Amino acid sequence: MDALSEVVSVLYQFGTNAVFLLLSAIGLIVILGMMNIINLAHGEFMMMGAYIATIATEHGSPLPVAAFLSFLGVALFGMILERLVIRRFYGRELGALVVTWGISLILAQGALLLFGPYMPAIAIPSGSFSLGRYSFSYYWLILIAVSIILVGALWLIYNRTSFGLMARATMQNPAMARSLGVDVEKVYALTFGLGAGLAGLSGALLAPTTSIAPFMGQQFVAPAFITVVVGGGANVIAGAVGSSALLSFVQTPVGLLLGTFSGMVALLLTALIIIRILPAGISSLLQGRSRLAGAR
Amino acid sequence: MRQLFRLIGGSHDIGSSRWFWSALTALAAAFLFYPLFGSEFGATNVAYYLLNIPLGLGLALLWGYGGVLSFGQTAFFTIAGYVYGIVAGNMTENSAGTVVASCAGLAAAGVVSAAFGYFVFFGRVAAWIVPILTLVLTLLLSTFLGLTAGYQWRVGSVLLGGYNGMTGIPALQVGDFVFQGYSFYYVTLALVILCYLGLRMLVNSHPGQVVIAMREDELRTELLGYDVRLQQLGVFVLAALLSGISGLLYVQWGNYITPSSAGLIQATLPVIWVAVGGRDSLLAVCIATFLLNQLTYVLSSQGNQYALVIVGVILVAVMLFAPQGIVVAIARSRWWRRTVDPNASSHG
Repeated sequence: MDALSEVVSVLYQFGTNAVFLLLSAIGLIVILGMMNIINLAHGEFMMMGAYIATIATEHGSPLPVAAFLSFLGVALFGMILERLVIRRFYGRELGALVVTWGISLILAQGALLLFGPYMPAIAIPSGSFSLGRYSFSYYWLILIAVSIILVGALWLIYNRTSFGLMARATMQNPAMARSLGVDVEKVYALTFGLGAGLAGLSGALLAPTTSIAPFMGQQFVAPAFITVVVGGGANVIAGAVGSSALLSFVQTPVGLLLGTFSGMVALLLTALIIIRILPAGISSLLQGRSRLAGAR
Repeated sequence: MRQLFRLIGGSHDIGSSRWFWSALTALAAAFLFYPLFGSEFGATNVAYYLLNIPLGLGLALLWGYGGVLSFGQTAFFTIAGYVYGIVAGNMTENSAGTVVASCAGLAAAGVVSAAFGYFVFFGRVAAWIVPILTLVLTLLLSTFLGLTAGYQWRVGSVLLGGYNGMTGIPALQVGDFVFQGYSFYYVTLALVILCYLGLRMLVNSHPGQVVIAMREDELRTELLGYDVRLQQLGVFVLAALLSGISGLLYVQWGNYITPSSAGLIQATLPVIWVAVGGRDSLLAVCIATFLLNQLTYVLSSQGNQYALVIVGVILVAVMLFAPQGIVVAIARSRWWRRTVDPNASSHG
């Protein structure tokens, strides 16, 4: 029984770390893989998702509904932002980085001015169970399940819908896709909306596990970007899943033995070593065999 | 000597006419004589606006001339500041202590940037990875320094101090002379002018041409026989050393440093100075760094909460409407060339 609880505890830690990394990075990696744009306002999109979820639960809606509202709200905001600002920066990736950073400053400080320094916390729904001397929260187990569903849904979108087909065609060769009648601008707008919406959804889902404040996006910046750097943009789903699993595999033991901060440092060192060996991230390794999006 | 002047007057910065150099000399003279009619308090404030210029110049060299964007220049600023504080704080008996500490601070910034740059540049990563990883570096540094509260975190007799930071850092001292007030102002001014003229010579010299060539086309530069990885690493370390100079000046100016020097908001600011001024002009970056530092300092000392929003709006507006930077846009406009600076070379 005791050995079992140890094993379950390590697996649980591994799962929660992987899910945290995956949820932090999924919206970012969708936008990067598709449009070669790094959205530095990603953390603030997650903050917006958490704020929408908080306001919705304050008005009595259950968390799943609130999370869905966050997805819609931030996706809409992302599409408006794409139309007004991001669109002018296609093909200028460093320019896009800088302008999205300006946007993140405005969003974070704007939230502080509008809502003040604190928001009421969302209570962690459902309870916990204990096994041996450890106790496990049902909510994190639900988050693990939700992440698996999310990845499955993304896979279906990219591989089984006409939007996914057009998106993959645009990813491989925008000029060719355009000449075959794909509305590339619309694909970009929808992709940016999808990435922003996923960031909002992740923010809402992670909101109960953290304190909700204007600058809360900062805590997701380091893990999300390391996950994206390690994953690379060649294949969105393989990159996100492979990278968060690998990084959690490093972070979990280091974090358990030496503390949270050492776990983060281990993530950075892993990222440095990975880019030294695989500059385009591990998704290029997985992608290399099938040559699906190798044109980048 | 003549060779030197030709390098300084080269075409890789705005302004090369006689008119331009007279105006710049007049500006330098104004700064030189400012203490005659300004108060010591005023001179200390102006020194603060000036001391960030080497940091901005380093980022301009790296991003504007070299095509490599970094969000982590504040990490090297902070490393130099903390190392200076540790060494100088342990050598208070020795009159050469602060000079040794300055060298140690710069060396630390150089070593960390070289080790970090080795992985990044020798891996030949995509252009967007360098800014992301440097940002992570500075955020982790800030988090780490925030954890160093308590008596167990001390080096010799100096406490790192956690979120409250390190206090009581000694001012620069040479022999028995302590640089404070007006004398610190002149040290800062001299370093800023040296950095500007030195970098202007660099970008117009042969090594500088290689840096610009890498920005234009890495593959072509490599095929001409240059080791792009090594060159980029060299520029990265030089930029880190320039950040280190700013970090040293900062701790000598205020006698304290906190982990927020490496935090997200501070990391944003250099990118804003450089983007708003114009990243491929050293002088434009100097002007923008000075004015924007003054703006944020005045706004935040009034307790104005809109400072960050205003700076963010300025950045987004510049990126949308004058992507090459405000100062550069003015200097390269037809109006400016016709009326003010008719002898300027065509690519400015």
